[in-house]
Formats: sequence, C-alpha cells, structure tokens
Amino acid sequence: RGSELPLTLQSRGPARFRGPQGCHPPSLPRQEEAQAIDQELFTEYKFSVDQLMELAGLSCATAIAKAYPPSSFTSQPAVLVVCGPGNNGGDGLVCARHLKMFGYEPAVYYPKRPNKPLFEGLTTQCQKMDIPFLPEFPAEAALIDELYGLVVDAIFGFSFKGAVREPFGSILNTLEHITVPIASIDIPSGWDVEKGKVDGLQPDMLISLTAPKKAAMHFAGRYHFLGGRFVPAALQKKYALNLPPYPETDCVLQLT
Amino acid sequence: VPSRQAFPLPSLPRKQPTVLVVCGPAQNGAIGLVCARHLRIFDYEPTIFYPKRSPDPLYRDFTTQCEKMDIPFLSYLPTEVQLINDAYNAVVDAVLGAEAEAGEGREPCAAILATLKHVRIPIVSLDVPSGWDVEAGSSGGISPDVLVSLSAPKQCARRFLGRQHFVAGRFLPYDVQKKFELNPPEYPGTECVVALRAPR
Repeated sequence: RGSELPLTLQSRGPARFRGPQGCHPPSLPRQEEAQAIDQELFTEYKFSVDQLMELAGLSCATAIAKAYPPSSFTSQPAVLVVCGPGNNGGDGLVCARHLKMFGYEPAVYYPKRPNKPLFEGLTTQCQKMDIPFLPEFPAEAALIDELYGLVVDAIFGFSFKGAVREPFGSILNTLEHITVPIASIDIPSGWDVEKGKVDGLQPDMLISLTAPKKAAMHFAGRYHFLGGRFVPAALQKKYALNLPPYPETDCVLQLT
Repeated sequence: VPSRQAFPLPSLPRKQPTVLVVCGPAQNGAIGLVCARHLRIFDYEPTIFYPKRSPDPLYRDFTTQCEKMDIPFLSYLPTEVQLINDAYNAVVDAVLGAEAEAGEGREPCAAILATLKHVRIPIVSLDVPSGWDVEAGSSGGISPDVLVSLSAPKQCARRFLGRQHFVAGRFLPYDVQKKFELNPPEYPGTECVVALRAPR
C-alpha cells in the first residue's frame, strides 16, 4: 500500500529555496499579492480562467507523475482526488483528467459543485473518461490507505480565509490521519495562506502554482514543485517574483 | 512543444532564437497565436504575422495575450524572401488547417503561401501544410520540414516528406479514439506530443 519512496530523496525539513544565482530567493507573495497577480492575468492579459486552470491542472498531474510514477505504487496506481468548492477544486478536476491520461486510476470526491459552466464542463470531461465520482467520502483513514496510494488535496487554495465549513472540516480531519502521501495543490488545505498551520495537514508534496506563497515556508514534505508556467516576464518583474528557470519545455520545476 | 523538440534552442543557426509565426484568419491561426505565446515562455523570440484577424472573442483574447507579452506583430510580410531567411530561424505555418476549403485561393492567404513556398528556412506546419488539400495533399505547394498533426494525422499527411512528424493528441478521450479507430501511438512519459517516423 502507498508508494515506494525513492531512497535518494529525504525530507530536509522546511523548504529552502535557491534562486537562479543562488543568492536571490524567490519572493513569496502574500495572499493579496497572489490575488492581484491572478487579477492582472485575467483583466490585463485577458487570459480566461479555463486557460490557466488547464495549465495549472496539467502541471499538478505532471509533478505527481514525476514524484510518484505509476510503477512506484505497490498495486494499482489508484489516486483519490478531493475537490473543494472553488477554483482549487477545478484545478483538481483538470489534474484528475490528466492523471487518467498518464495511466493512473483516479477517483474524485466532489461534494460541493459550483453551478457554473466551467466546473460542469470539467466534471463532464472526467465522467466521460470513466473517472468515478464517489457518492461519499471514505469513512475512515484506514480505508483510504487501503484503497489508494496517493491523495490529491484540491480543497482550498490561496483565496482561503476564515473557518473551514463542512463537509471539509471532517474530510480534513480524516486526511490528517492517513499514512499514504498527500499532494496539495497550491496551499495545503486548511492552512493559513501566509502562516501555515502547525497541527494541520502535513502533505508530502506541494505544487505551488505561479509562485510559492508565504505558507510554503512552513512546508516540510519531501517534494515541492512549481507549476503554472504561464506568467509573462513583465508580470514576474513587476511583482519581483524571482522565479528560477523552468527546464526546457517542462511545465513544472522541482524546487526541492 | 514540437517546435522546441525539433529545433532545440542551442541548435538554432541565428544568434537570436527568432521564429516567424504566420497566422491565418480561422482556428489554425488561433492555434498559431497560442503556440507563439508558449514559444515566448520557452525563451524563443517569436514574431507574428496576422493580417486577417478573427472577430471571435476567444481569438481576440489570444491576440491580447501575445501583445501584452511583447510579441511583435508585423504589419506586412516581406515578399523579398531573403529578408525572411535572414531574420528568422524557422517559420511556423498556422495559416490554413483542415477546415479550409477555397481559403488558399483568397487573399491574403494566396500571397502568403506564394512567399512561403520560396523560403529556405525550415517550416513547421500546424495540422495541415497550408494550401494542401486535406486528403490528397499537394503538388507544388509548401514543403514543411516539420508537421504537427493535431488530434490525429490527416489523410494528406501521407504525402508529407519532411524531417519530422509529430502528433499532438494526448487530450483525446479513449472512447473518441476507439470510435474513430485512431490507434494513436504511446505518448512517452508525460509528453503531450509523440514523434512519428517521417515517411520516405
């Protein structure tokens, strides 16, 4: 059960970033800055949410495939993708579809679905590709460990603020007790976007989209990837993101 | 991605990694705009020639995205072919796709294709070499070096004689592939394109 961990990679504690020259670390946007960057991409650059969500979800699936290849699973490469009520959930749906393309067996739990064509379309795409949508969340952590080798946390993203509403409170409680690895999209769900959460979810992988947020400083898992390779150079400069270069045509960059 | 795989940055003959992207008035041209934007992200220096712009709001947004990323748009295509050969390493042909019918007979496409027929630098055609009949191919039309078939190769791809043929169709659901008997090759790893052996 679970993925076999490559022996060469070990947890090094909180992530340390190395910028391009080694001495200029990426700047970690705060919540308002992250939201401002997104806004500018939509209003100034005229990107559609669909475009960026597709690129983001593809990055997540690609990062997962690099860190947890299907061959590393002890039996079937079964992945549980837990999707929240907003854009982070949308990223999860795109990710699930690409995971299926890459040879995984994803299953989605999507309890709160927005009434918008974007999310309805993404749901249909998954369903038409025979990705099952679970009618209920596995009742116990042990059951998740039994059925899946990896969980993708696509519940809350960088806009998250305030209290966690049900059913996500219970879901996060269960996820905090599983032993199979968790890959969180953009922000480990339930964490404060800047300060993290000491007693919260402890994912094994974090895929930061666009740029790592302040919360990433508290990430202690083994794999930190950067995804969302769509930020124009001018925008990177404006917000002093100092992102290290992506390799070749890859849509992800492994930071740790 | 296929442009990058066929012409990795270090291999380009000109000092600057310049690429000319010629975009037609319909969907093929819009795909060219998206391609240009990603080439920019990959550190190439694309320039776009897009003489007849689509009114489709989605395609207009693609144009804005390119403009805001400082990708220059040429106001005319030089008829002096040597100017193109000297300024760019390669041309991306996104003029006409599988949907074109009499498109190649109409301006400005006819003039563009007449010029492209004579360039000496490699041409990368998106989906269908522009001006070719989608089934029968072409005699005397442009001869691309690289063909990127979208979704699946079209009939005319059998007449393709260039160096590399890529298929970009990894997004097709299995039941669509089966329904149309597409039998695509295996995509390596997480790649979105796969190279097919170029026919000889």
